[in-house]
Amino acid sequence: MHSVTAIVVAHDGSRWLRDTLRAVLAQTRPIDRGVGVDNGSRDGSGALLGEAFGKHSVVQMPRSSGFAEAVHEVVRRLPEAPGQTEWLWVIHDDCAPDPRALELLLHAADEYPETGILGPKLRDWLDRKLLLEVGVTVARSGRRETGLEAREYDQGQHDAEPRGVRDVLAVSTAGMLIRRDVWDELGGLDAKLPLFRDDLDFCWRARAAGHRVLAVTGAVAWHAEASSKRRRRIAASDDHPRRLARRYSLFVLMANLPFWTMLWSMARNTVGSLIRTVLFLVAKQPAHAVDELAAIGSVLVHPLRLHRARKARKRSRAGYALVKPMFSPPILAFRRAWEMVQNQLSGGGPMDSAGRHHAVQLPGAEEGDELLNDDDGFLRRTFASPGVRLFVLLTAVAIAAERDLLAGGTPGGFLGGGALVPVAGGASDLWAFYTGEWAPPYVAVLAALSTITFGKTWLAVSILLLGCVPLSGLSAYLATRSFVGYRPARVWLAATYALLPVATGVVASGRIGSAVVFILLPVYASLATKVLADTRKPARRAAWGLGLLLAVGTAFAPILYVFVAVLGLLAAVSFGGVRRGVGGNLLIALGTPLLLLGPWLATIVEDPVRILREAGLPMTSAPTLAPEALLTLNPGGPGAPPIWVTAGLLVVALGALLLRRHQFIVAVGWGVAIVGVLAATVVSRLSTWPGVPLAFAATGLLVSTALAAPRIAEFRQAGGFRRAGAFLVVLVAFATPVAAATLWIMNEAGGPLRRDVRSPLPAIAEANSKPGEGTLLIRTAETGLTYTVLHGRTPVIGESERAAYGSEFTDAVAGLASGRGGSDAAKLAAQGVAFVSVPGPVDPTIRRALDSDPAIARVTLTDRAGLWRMTGRVTPAPVPADGAWHRYWLYGQGALVVVVLILAAPGARPAEAETPEEIPAGRERVAV
Amino acid sequence: MRRLIENRFGMLALVLIALAAVYGVAFASRPAPVAPVRAEPVRAPIASVSTVCPDPGGAMVTAVTPPNVGGAGQTFIDDGDDPFTMDEPGKLWQKTMPAGTDPIRVHATGAMASGLEAAQTRRALSGEARGLAGVRCVDPGAAAWFVGPGPAAGELKLHLANVESAPADVALVVYSGEGQVIADRASGLILKPGEHRTVDLKTVAPSPLVMALNVSTGRGRVAAAVEAATPEGVDWLPQTTEPARRVVVPGVPGSAGRRELYVAAPGDQDAIVQIKAVLKDGSYALENREDVEVPAGSVATLDLSTGVTGQPAAIVLTSDVPVVGGLKIIGTGSRTDVAYTAGAPSIDLGSVVADARSTKAVTSRLILSAPDKAADVTVTLLPREGDAPEPIEVAIPAQRTKEIILKGSAKGFSVVVTPKAGSGPVYGGRVMEERVSGGQLVTAQPLAVARTWTLVPKATEAPSVILPPYSS
Repeated sequence: MHSVTAIVVAHDGSRWLRDTLRAVLAQTRPIDRGVGVDNGSRDGSGALLGEAFGKHSVVQMPRSSGFAEAVHEVVRRLPEAPGQTEWLWVIHDDCAPDPRALELLLHAADEYPETGILGPKLRDWLDRKLLLEVGVTVARSGRRETGLEAREYDQGQHDAEPRGVRDVLAVSTAGMLIRRDVWDELGGLDAKLPLFRDDLDFCWRARAAGHRVLAVTGAVAWHAEASSKRRRRIAASDDHPRRLARRYSLFVLMANLPFWTMLWSMARNTVGSLIRTVLFLVAKQPAHAVDELAAIGSVLVHPLRLHRARKARKRSRAGYALVKPMFSPPILAFRRAWEMVQNQLSGGGPMDSAGRHHAVQLPGAEEGDELLNDDDGFLRRTFASPGVRLFVLLTAVAIAAERDLLAGGTPGGFLGGGALVPVAGGASDLWAFYTGEWAPPYVAVLAALSTITFGKTWLAVSILLLGCVPLSGLSAYLATRSFVGYRPARVWLAATYALLPVATGVVASGRIGSAVVFILLPVYASLATKVLADTRKPARRAAWGLGLLLAVGTAFAPILYVFVAVLGLLAAVSFGGVRRGVGGNLLIALGTPLLLLGPWLATIVEDPVRILREAGLPMTSAPTLAPEALLTLNPGGPGAPPIWVTAGLLVVALGALLLRRHQFIVAVGWGVAIVGVLAATVVSRLSTWPGVPLAFAATGLLVSTALAAPRIAEFRQAGGFRRAGAFLVVLVAFATPVAAATLWIMNEAGGPLRRDVRSPLPAIAEANSKPGEGTLLIRTAETGLTYTVLHGRTPVIGESERAAYGSEFTDAVAGLASGRGGSDAAKLAAQGVAFVSVPGPVDPTIRRALDSDPAIARVTLTDRAGLWRMTGRVTPAPVPADGAWHRYWLYGQGALVVVVLILAAPGARPAEAETPEEIPAGRERVAV
Repeated sequence: MRRLIENRFGMLALVLIALAAVYGVAFASRPAPVAPVRAEPVRAPIASVSTVCPDPGGAMVTAVTPPNVGGAGQTFIDDGDDPFTMDEPGKLWQKTMPAGTDPIRVHATGAMASGLEAAQTRRALSGEARGLAGVRCVDPGAAAWFVGPGPAAGELKLHLANVESAPADVALVVYSGEGQVIADRASGLILKPGEHRTVDLKTVAPSPLVMALNVSTGRGRVAAAVEAATPEGVDWLPQTTEPARRVVVPGVPGSAGRRELYVAAPGDQDAIVQIKAVLKDGSYALENREDVEVPAGSVATLDLSTGVTGQPAAIVLTSDVPVVGGLKIIGTGSRTDVAYTAGAPSIDLGSVVADARSTKAVTSRLILSAPDKAADVTVTLLPREGDAPEPIEVAIPAQRTKEIILKGSAKGFSVVVTPKAGSGPVYGGRVMEERVSGGQLVTAQPLAVARTWTLVPKATEAPSVILPPYSS
């Protein structure tokens, strides 16, 4: 015989309590006893309980009591029912069982007499078919796993056949049926867990003690989960339920796991929590981040509490082997991580339901656009996107054109030439260089990218430089999404942009600075549009993003900043009055680079000529660039196609002016184009390659033209004469990218950039250089003698921008090479020069001069290179002192980057669904 | 403005005007193309000279620094027990060394280094060493070339001296009339710092009648000189220029006696060498001796007496393959003496000859050749005693040779030859002859570039040096 005592615990839950009590009392197998506990409700819940069970069967508890305490209080007072199997049926005030629930639960208990705890299948209170739980388990991260998909409807798919019961690790306390002797044996629910996870802890102990825990799928209860969904205020604790849930889940895990497993779990959860904190910060959910940290923190800083809990569970831990198989599989953790990333991409923020009582997700706003993530047919949808197709096509063109650069490597050869320093070393070398002295900031960007590419700098540089064409095509396609609606026009725009003479020139000359700016330029345009045109918050974010990317671009090619600043000032003048906040946002966008690059920009101000330089080796360009080349956006130099290739573009762009569409943007676009060409003229006359200003001009021109493209489509539909005209225009328009691609492939991207550049430092010198010793590298050229000093290894990118040695050193080098004798060699040795290397073919004059100097001795001389060694004492050059200021600045810069990243990162797009919708502020709510 | 923008033609017109303006700016600002400026090297005085007189025993050693821009400096003559220091330019230092003296190092710094010249001349009237034998004291170097008679023709001694602070590792390569000589003992000679050594070339290669010798060091530097004592007479072989496609052998005197040319092609290709003589009245190919074929790695000789004897000359050798060249001058008389000249560079930066004499018996000739363009030089004599005479100006027409009989102090004098600005390349030699009973004594020395000046190239610091030069 069974004797069932229903224990209904109420806490401000009168909204649901009436239905709950009605359902408890209407069971087909009536309860034997009913007891109500009122945890200090203020909404008349106590009275409702009294009406249902009689005034004497209601226990009054203080408002701060937890759920477990309430049940304990009842059980303590409950007299034994001799000769019967006693059951405790624990019911939340927001949980209404189905009329047959108790009957089915007891039926299962009869069938499986070894069962200690049973629970019904839980469905949602409002959405009556929505499944909440059919028993739960726990992941090793402490996450409560229901094993259900989000928003799964109950169609019997989780019902167990044939008997309708499932062995589970735990069932919810909502509707939990407990054998009283089991309760007594285990000491009941842990009162230290006032809310959340008490069920898991209790069932874990029951399992470990050898009792079965069953979810009875036939029995149904509807649960409102009022506490965890914050439909009511929790009185047992002041903390947010999310934090409580997270803290208790960690606590339960730590308390019940065996010692070593616990230590491992602790380490793993600490790391995991830190990662999640960062993700939350990036998603701008600081509250989540704080909760996450607070939860793990409160577990870690209270070892005594944990120790006591573990001591109490000492006996039950022996049954860990019985519990372990019930954990959720480890693969689930990876799936959750993937879901988190997906959520972030789809704009939902990385919020997962780890802290929630169950796995109901609010329906996120679907991202209707062509974001490349999706749930079904990822590949199919990806390759259907014209942007991706364009990217693949441009990649194929780039591979065909750069075949020699990609495949023509010789062992020991480096990618280098033109403006590109032979790419030697790895991410760690770059970091060491950047943190060791005042290095140009683009080194940090490259170091970060190399870290992503597994520490291989050559890979990062190859992607940026050799992948410049496809990457800029992709960025142009994606970035123009917001202002060019017509897709074929965008494809044309992106293809033309990616194959501009600037792009092929960038690759041929190894101008990595211009390559980065070229890739980022469409993004600048898109962000700038957002800054000027978007609503407040997105505009502010765009401003931070623009500032950050501008800092990156400026670090690679400082001239970019000058240009953007001019355009920004013009924009501030024209838009400042129209929209509020535009001025401030522009200030953010233009101020961020100044802040992030401060000390480096200060050195440029001291030496303004460097504004014209870009990352890498200085490489001048002919100042005699033809005016028609400038007008056709052709910067000249290696890799630039003949002028006629882009002439069609200019014709089409002028023709587009006749189609009156978006006059204002077209005017702005042309304005940018003309200012760009003008700037390019100035820059070019200063013997600088005008790639960056011409890229600006091209962006303006292309956007203006692409905006007119829908008219072409209309003409095509009109037929006849207009159709022919449209066809002609399209032909001319597409001729530019097609011709550019064809010529590029035919020329094999030929230029100074090569794949087989040998290390400028002879191996002997590299092996025998002590720290602080350098190798003087001399080359003879038409215009005299050029030299540089290498320091013990093949220089990494950015090292070439070290401070010059000065005229005295230069005189000594010239003297050494002239063979005039004297103290030149000693002067060089005093500056740390230990070797003199002359790449072959060695000029006989220099060879004689070096051979005749008693202060240096020949080491080797072949037709490939000659190497001499100082015979006298070499004073190692002082290692550049890593001053405290530099260290502080690095920390500051790192912190600034993180802050700007957080401010710029896209936030969760739907507003957080935590605000209780029906509740007017200030009023308190009901029930556990 | 707004109406202009909204009118389609207005906008187009605006844009076209703007484009035209930009074109105009670009056109107007386009600079004229300029040829890249070739940086002219700057002349700079040499600041430190170290030279070694290889075997001064019994010879007169002369050291001189011609008057120059001035400044502080010192010449240090490391004459064993009796070192001597000089600090006044323009003064001649001369001393006859006792027999068996070790090599003397002459080292100068500062102003005294600029133009320092030293030479040794031995004069013997009887015995095996009868004759005049002079040699310019040599700079320690990493390579030296000699061409002349081989060990089978007489006694050839190679004097090696290492005056540096590092050991020198010397290798010898001998080319004979039959090709390169493979010799076991030709390499691995290691000279410790301060060590000097005389190598009998017979022990290296006993059989060549004529030879070209390349002394090179793997590491360190060595001062090398070769003394040749043949039945025809005794003299030193001057260092010749390194193998080149054009070699000028200057300093052939206008006196009587046989002249024999040596040409070696040390590469691995046969050379056909065109021979031209630059004489008093023009530059000619010699009849029937227009060219000589030199098999790879071997030395050829050619008697030039019929073409050249009796007139001052320079011999110009041209070939597609690098060659070295030298010439034997034989004096007249029943007991002959011999002298050698060899390929020499043009003396664009001037030249100094330390030792010359002019007495009744001794004639010093200066032979100057301008095989390319007309040349103008100034010849200044620096007497050992007394005031310096006025400088002589000499104009040499293009493709001509001029011989000057130097009339100076009987006790000895030095000669400074300075080409004037705009002069063509000048090559030259100094020959000293002495009439003694039994036959004429002779010694020769091709003019070497003075250690006065060096050309300092324009140097710029350029990080792009780490890349190989790009040519499109």
